[in-house]
Amino acid sequence: MTVLSVLRAVAGPARLAITHNSQQVAKMSDHRAMNIIPSRFQWNKFKDMLHLYFVGAAIPLLAGIGITNMMVGPATLSEIPEGYVPREDEYYKSPITRFLVRNFTRNEQMEYEKKMQYIWETEHKRQLRLIEKRVKKLMAERGDYKAWYYTPHIARKYQRIVRKETEELMERRPAA
Amino acid sequence: MNWARPCTVFWFPERVVVPNRKEYPWYHRSYNRVPTIDQCYTDDPVCFFEANEQWIRDRQVDREIVNILRQRWRDCAFYEGVDAPVKCVELQKISEDAETNFFIKYGDLSAYANVKDCYMKQKHRMLWERRHGPVGTGMKTEQ
Repeated sequence: MTVLSVLRAVAGPARLAITHNSQQVAKMSDHRAMNIIPSRFQWNKFKDMLHLYFVGAAIPLLAGIGITNMMVGPATLSEIPEGYVPREDEYYKSPITRFLVRNFTRNEQMEYEKKMQYIWETEHKRQLRLIEKRVKKLMAERGDYKAWYYTPHIARKYQRIVRKETEELMERRPAA
Repeated sequence: MNWARPCTVFWFPERVVVPNRKEYPWYHRSYNRVPTIDQCYTDDPVCFFEANEQWIRDRQVDREIVNILRQRWRDCAFYEGVDAPVKCVELQKISEDAETNFFIKYGDLSAYANVKDCYMKQKHRMLWERRHGPVGTGMKTEQ
C-alpha cells in the first residue's frame, strides 16, 4: 500500500510536468490536451467488479435472507399430531428451504416407491428371461422342438449321420 | 446479566422481530417399521431393498447414540481434568460398552456394506461361537 501512495506523490508533479511538456512540444491547435498519466485501468476494473458482485449479488441475497428471517422466521420443532400426515415441506425448518422443497424438489416418499416399483418390474423381466434362456438351451441340446434350431427333415437325416460320425470320432480321439 | 436494561444485540430480535412473526411447526420424519432381512425371502428384491434402507437408518441412529455417549464421557473428563480416571468411570464404561456392541454389529464391514453382509457376519459369528466358545476365549485346536 505504501508503494502506491509513494507513486501517487511522484506521479502528481510528473503528471503536470508531462502535460506542460506535451503542450509545449506538440503545439496542440485546440485548447484541449492529452494528459499522459499512469494507467488507472486495474483500479477502475476492480471498483466495477466489486460494485457488481456486491450490489448485484451479495446485497440482494443477504437482504432477502435477512428480511425472510425477520418477517417469517424459522419454524418450531413439534410433535406430529395424531392421524396427521405432514406435507413434504413441513419436514424442514428454514422458510427458504421449505419454499424450494414445495416448488422445485421431488417428493421423497414418491421417489422411494417408484424405485421399489422399478426393482419389482426388472426382477419380473429377469425371471421371465431366465426361463426363456433355459428353454432355449434345452431346445438346443435336445433338438426336439420346432421353435429354435429347427432344420427340415431332409437335412435331418444328414444331421443324424453327422452326429453319429462325430460321436464315433469323439470316442476315438477324446482330447480333440 | 441485567435484562431490565435492553442489551442491543438481543433487544431488537426479542422485542421487535419475534412478536411480529407467526409460529408454525416443522416435524421430524417418522418411518414405519418394515420386515427385516431375516423375514425376507431370498428371491424378493423389493423386501431386500426396504430392509436395506431400514438398516441404513438404524445404523445412522446407532452411530449417533455412540457419539452422544462418547461425548458425555468426554465432557465429564474435560470438566474433571486430572480427576477424570476416578470420577468418570461409569460414563467411560457405558461409552466403551456401546462402542464394543457397535463394533460387534457393524464393525469391519466395508464402506459398501449392505444388510445382507451384516446378517452374514452375525451368522458367521454365531457359528464360530458354537464351535469355539464365546468370542474372546480363543480358537480351539483340532483334537
